[in-house]
Amino acid sequence: MSADITRRDVLTTAVRGTVLAVMGGGAGFLVKKANGQIVWQVDAARCVNSRLGETGVAACSLCTTECVVPLSAVRAVNEYAKCGRCNICPAYFDVTSPVDQHGYPSVKLCPRDAILRHPIGKLDPEDPANNFYEYLIDETKCDGCGKCVMQCKDPLGLGSITLRVRYDKCVNCNRCAISTACPQSAVVQLPAGHAV
Amino acid sequence: MSRRRWAWISGCVAALCVAILIADYLAALRRPLDSKIPAERLRITAARLSRKQRDDRAAWVLMAAAAAFLACARQGARPKVPKPARLAATMVRRPPPPAVAPVAPEIEFSAFVEDAIARLGRGKESAIPLLQAIQAHYRYLPDEALRHLCALTEITPAEIAGTSSFYARFRRSPVGKHVVRVCHGTACHVAGARQITDELRRYLAIPEGADTDPARQFTIDEVACLGCCSLAPVLMVDGRPAGKLTPVTACEALRDDV
Amino acid sequence: MKTARLILACVLLFLAIPRHAAAQPVPYQRPVETAPQPDSIGGGYKLPAVQKPLPRAYWLQIVDVVLLGGAMAVAVWLVLSRRNRKWLVWLSLGSLAYFGFYREGCICPIGSIQNVAVALTNPKYSIPVVVTATFFLPLLTALFFGRAFCGGVCALGAIQELVVIRPVTVPRRLDWTLGLLKYVYLGLAVGYAIKPALTRNFLICRFDPFVGLFRRSGPPHMLFIGGLFLIAGMFIGRPYCRWLCPYGGLLAWCTRLARRGVTITPDKELDCGLCVEACPYGAIEAMRAVRRNCLYCARCYDACPRQRKLVQIS
Repeated sequence: MSADITRRDVLTTAVRGTVLAVMGGGAGFLVKKANGQIVWQVDAARCVNSRLGETGVAACSLCTTECVVPLSAVRAVNEYAKCGRCNICPAYFDVTSPVDQHGYPSVKLCPRDAILRHPIGKLDPEDPANNFYEYLIDETKCDGCGKCVMQCKDPLGLGSITLRVRYDKCVNCNRCAISTACPQSAVVQLPAGHAV
Repeated sequence: MSRRRWAWISGCVAALCVAILIADYLAALRRPLDSKIPAERLRITAARLSRKQRDDRAAWVLMAAAAAFLACARQGARPKVPKPARLAATMVRRPPPPAVAPVAPEIEFSAFVEDAIARLGRGKESAIPLLQAIQAHYRYLPDEALRHLCALTEITPAEIAGTSSFYARFRRSPVGKHVVRVCHGTACHVAGARQITDELRRYLAIPEGADTDPARQFTIDEVACLGCCSLAPVLMVDGRPAGKLTPVTACEALRDDV
Repeated sequence: MKTARLILACVLLFLAIPRHAAAQPVPYQRPVETAPQPDSIGGGYKLPAVQKPLPRAYWLQIVDVVLLGGAMAVAVWLVLSRRNRKWLVWLSLGSLAYFGFYREGCICPIGSIQNVAVALTNPKYSIPVVVTATFFLPLLTALFFGRAFCGGVCALGAIQELVVIRPVTVPRRLDWTLGLLKYVYLGLAVGYAIKPALTRNFLICRFDPFVGLFRRSGPPHMLFIGGLFLIAGMFIGRPYCRWLCPYGGLLAWCTRLARRGVTITPDKELDCGLCVEACPYGAIEAMRAVRRNCLYCARCYDACPRQRKLVQIS
């Protein structure tokens, strides 16, 4: 290895130094305005399924079909504090279906049979219609089709079920495929603290 | 089972998994997403979940099979270059060669020379037989022996110089304990005999212009053809051939002998 | 409670009346106006917690960046100092397992080009520090040591590296021409990324051929293309890395300035050319390493009978 410094070495070192400086400047600029992690979430105020005034239409299933994850990262989530615990839940039963001999609608609304219904609280042994029922959503079966969300709002329900992005399944794409497809731009990016 | 067979098996397993995945995907395209009939709905849901599970397992098996295929298939792809067990073994640090060529030790030549002259004659026509006899005995032509020869016969030093330099087999410098003949015939030449010779010379620290190492253990001789061309490049150490050489194994062939 | 029972009873009575058409919508009235509280439900009922799965913890993202830097340091040491290809293959396997299959390819420095481009040009958009670090760390390494990122760390590179079985030598002109494609891709990716938010398109993420394989799912055409790249990669030698990777374009620019890197000094005496034969990526021309094409696979060192003695810093 030659002990003399060639012109080429000087030039290379100089350019390398310049590039380092530029990179440092860029990195510093980016770090200064850095934010925390941002994630995608469904804005219930804009989502067609949750918005008031849209009942009786087919539920929007874009969250199911557009997500790049095979079983969509969006799920229906029931806020238990807001749930009515009704005997005949419009999200559990398909209230347009004919009634069976027990007085309940014969068809369940969820095409994946993902909602589990069981009585809670002080049980009335004689009259099952008198009890409260809890509705749990099995997230392994739910695929976010939104049918239950569409039914659970005024005038039939209390709006406790909404579609939400589940972060253990969401891969946090740079551009959410659902957000590209959503006609209401209801899938938005929020800081992780707000979104959960 | 050989690696080839494992490669075939794993390749087939991988192809099978791909076929399963493609078939599942095509079947799912046709299957209806939903139904009004409850029994049908349950069936669709169960089918979807089982399909997802099957595809997950097929994906993992595919990856394992692909990994196995790659591990087996790459085995015979490139010939492995033989490497010495310890790199240091090839980087022999020998002391620098002496400035002068090796000097022959003091030996009494007169007895043998007189004996040869008595057998072969003292005329000029006996020059070559005498030189051959001396070479066969001492393995080279010592200057001292040649001086005796000139003194006792009619052969002049000039004639000896001419004759001994004309024939390549006559050596004027001492030869090493072992003679290494490196073949430079056609097949060995194209197989890299030059690299072998150069590496041996470097390994033994033979000075420029000489052909024997300073310790006088080895003499490197470049010869025409040793007659084992399928083993090119070849060298012969004291009549024992070594073939399919690389610069590294050539040096090792020397070490086997020492 | 009593009112609820009454209303429920009325509803049920109404529902029990048989109707002609099954498809008629039932005028269902919800029985409650507000959600019942646990104390009115009775029976010791406790409100179940709503599951709120959290996104990946921040300290884990820091661990990712640290592992990225650490893996690159190990790659540099293995290739430039130890010159051991066997350990480098193990490093590649580890990178593939962690950055590829476990993290499913996200976040990768290749895609971060887009995020950094947007963050630099759009005042409203900002990126977390980990993304900045993921973008700059491999470039920094390339400025000093060459494309160590490509060698044992990039998951996309690792998966292609592991399938190379019988590479053919691509003619130099073709190689050079195809290599221009990565700059075209770089330009397109940056161009589409810096568009306004609604028309913004992250091309690199959408057209990444291997992320579908890492996630074991994806649009079928991308899975197919990924499979094709791997099968082609068995005979061509990292086609994506050499000709399509936009980050590889940036790394190639930085490697030109590197102080150290893979170097081949033509041995005046030996000149066997085994390294040229061994390199599948056309990174050795006239017995000298072309650093900007060198993908840090250490095959040249592996094939060299002189190993350390031959390859010195020029």
